[in-house]
Amino acid sequence: MTTDQNKVRGADVGYTLNRRELLIGAAGVAGAGALLAACGGGEVGPLTFGARTVDESPTKQLKALVAAYEAKTGNTVTYNATESNAFQNNLSQYLQGTPDDAFQWMAGYRMQFFAEQGLLVDLTDVWDKIGDQYSESYKIASTGLDGKQYFIPQSWYPWGMHFRKSMLAELGIDPDGIYNWDDFMKMLDGMKSKGLIGFAAADKGGWEAMGTFDILNARINGYQFHVDLMAGREKWTDARTAEVFKYWEMLVPYMNDNVLDLEWDGAMQLLLQKKAGAMLMGSWFGGNFKEQSDADYEDLWIIPFPEINPEHKRDTIDAPIDGFCAAKNGANNDGGKDFLAFAGDMEGVQAMLDTGVPMTSANKGQDTSTYDAFQTQQLAVMAEAKYITQFLDRDTRPDFAGPIVGPALQSWFKNPKDVNKILESLQSQWDALPPL
Amino acid sequence: MGRSAAALSDGKLKRTTAASPKRPRRRRAFSRSDRFTLGVFVGVPTAIHLLLVWIPATLTIYLSFTYWTGINYSDITWAGLANYDNIFTKTPLFYDAVRNNVIWLVWFALISTPAGVLLAYQIDRQIRGHRFYQSAYYFPVVLSLAVTGIIWNFMLRSDGFINGLIGRDISNAVSFFGNYDINIYVIMVIASWRHVGYIMLLYLAGLKAVDPTLREAAAIDGATEWETFRKVVLPAMRPVNIIIVVITIIESLRAFDIIYVIYGTSAGLPILGVLVFQNIAGEGASMKGAAYAVILFVLSIGPIIAYLRQQFREDVS
Repeated sequence: MTTDQNKVRGADVGYTLNRRELLIGAAGVAGAGALLAACGGGEVGPLTFGARTVDESPTKQLKALVAAYEAKTGNTVTYNATESNAFQNNLSQYLQGTPDDAFQWMAGYRMQFFAEQGLLVDLTDVWDKIGDQYSESYKIASTGLDGKQYFIPQSWYPWGMHFRKSMLAELGIDPDGIYNWDDFMKMLDGMKSKGLIGFAAADKGGWEAMGTFDILNARINGYQFHVDLMAGREKWTDARTAEVFKYWEMLVPYMNDNVLDLEWDGAMQLLLQKKAGAMLMGSWFGGNFKEQSDADYEDLWIIPFPEINPEHKRDTIDAPIDGFCAAKNGANNDGGKDFLAFAGDMEGVQAMLDTGVPMTSANKGQDTSTYDAFQTQQLAVMAEAKYITQFLDRDTRPDFAGPIVGPALQSWFKNPKDVNKILESLQSQWDALPPL
Repeated sequence: MGRSAAALSDGKLKRTTAASPKRPRRRRAFSRSDRFTLGVFVGVPTAIHLLLVWIPATLTIYLSFTYWTGINYSDITWAGLANYDNIFTKTPLFYDAVRNNVIWLVWFALISTPAGVLLAYQIDRQIRGHRFYQSAYYFPVVLSLAVTGIIWNFMLRSDGFINGLIGRDISNAVSFFGNYDINIYVIMVIASWRHVGYIMLLYLAGLKAVDPTLREAAAIDGATEWETFRKVVLPAMRPVNIIIVVITIIESLRAFDIIYVIYGTSAGLPILGVLVFQNIAGEGASMKGAAYAVILFVLSIGPIIAYLRQQFREDVS
């Protein structure tokens, strides 16, 4: 990371995850984990943990982590679960009130913002203990603007085109043959002619479509433009931004009609029920397929979003990192840190993996040879990318992403012809944001 | 001892009566303990009211003129009218929200509230099965708006009951909430489901209090049903009418729960109440939310004052 990059706003720090480091990390062996397995534990007393999910699979995973920690240290952990949107909406108040000692959160800007406000516990000494189980890129993603670590990564997932292998076989489509936009459009035409929805989409939640914007922008205008746009160094009124929507509009005829009536899991249902042939989404939903049946999970496949501009190939990917933070206002900071040291250590990671819920861990100790086919393919998709972004709502200001970009994309779905008006409005709303 | 006490109180009584023959009660001096009791009874609620209502309200008004992320007090910076300028000149969502709130108000005023009044009138006339209707229409009022939203979300979403009933699955469902041309009206039907019962109940209580001899007199004079209602019943119901008008306005402006349950903080159906929350809640709160709250406050204060005046007048009489 150069000093020049250091000067730019926090939103950019998350980007510096680079492909090689991440791959080295993921492909590494478990040696380091074994050496450090002894860390964690100690007399820190009872603590509380706040989960940012009430879904079945992740809950199973987190409860296993908590149980393993309790068994090892004898410290009791109170497990509090909140539905993820409610948790996010309430986070500021939560952290200023009486938060749990440790809680689930996200890397990048969203972590850095709260670290800057002094609401997170400095985890530098935890990183000193378990840091060598992670590649450098994860450490960077866990680092606040002051150079200290405030985050323990749990898992990552790529955003890409998801398919069901069985459907592709029936349609006679070879996913490896879909490299560029023309291939992709041909595939969508094929699906449409069979009466299928080609591109399952959802945006009722207001954030789902951001993934489509991210990848189209990165494919058409490249990583650097996307990063600069997120940071306000490029304009939404730029002709290049308008180009993104030109391509997006080409996808609309292949989408379901009720994009604005479905949340992300609605789009997932379309793929699960074989109503749709393809879906752009983060691979986290593998667990939901597995809840349905193992066969459904094994049927899943992912490829990178197609190339549009040959100059940028398929070199960028949204791959958000989820993990944990400790809250400064928690009653037991030492307890929170101790728990996170365990959660980040291979021992804790193993406890989560042992539940059988699919997870691509950030820890080097998870041997990639134990990956199932879908996870191996996720890794391959990551491997093709040179640049990694988090996600629009993690890469730009929170007071811009949620309240401004979200509604703008929804209004675009209502009337794609309004694109110029929408982009002008986005830019003027960006310009009106309070200075940081 | 008994006698002297009696004499004393007698004398005291005389003195008071002599000092203020016209309004003896008002002028009576409160004893120390009376004053203490009154002080507690008036002071505590006032303090709580100030603490929980007026101080936050004043601070919100102040904050609407600042930039702040809602965390450290030291970060508050003066913004002047910037938040308002932003809302009025740069945020198309604001006008969408105002439009939706206005539709809400007009719908309630022209459809839901009159429907509630009509129902109340019919039930008061004891039409056949009126007890059943009364319970059926009143039932939704028992439910909170949030629960109302949950129920209707189950009914109308893409994989919901109604779509199942008409044989559509998630891939070709009728998009009740996602079609931005009609979703406000879908929401209006849901909100009316509850509002009609609420108005019916209020009006029914009012109608029961109207002296039946008035109607009889009108009937003897040969007035039609409609004339009786318009010229006799309605004027007799004036206090209730005002309350109903005010409630209709306030309910339309403060609308939030149903929308939040169905759409969350996304702008699927922007209304002012949701915009306040969307900008205040979550990460990196912006005081644009406070400015929305002030706008909503200003819009509501008129009807609220009218409502309170009516209430006080009733209490006095």
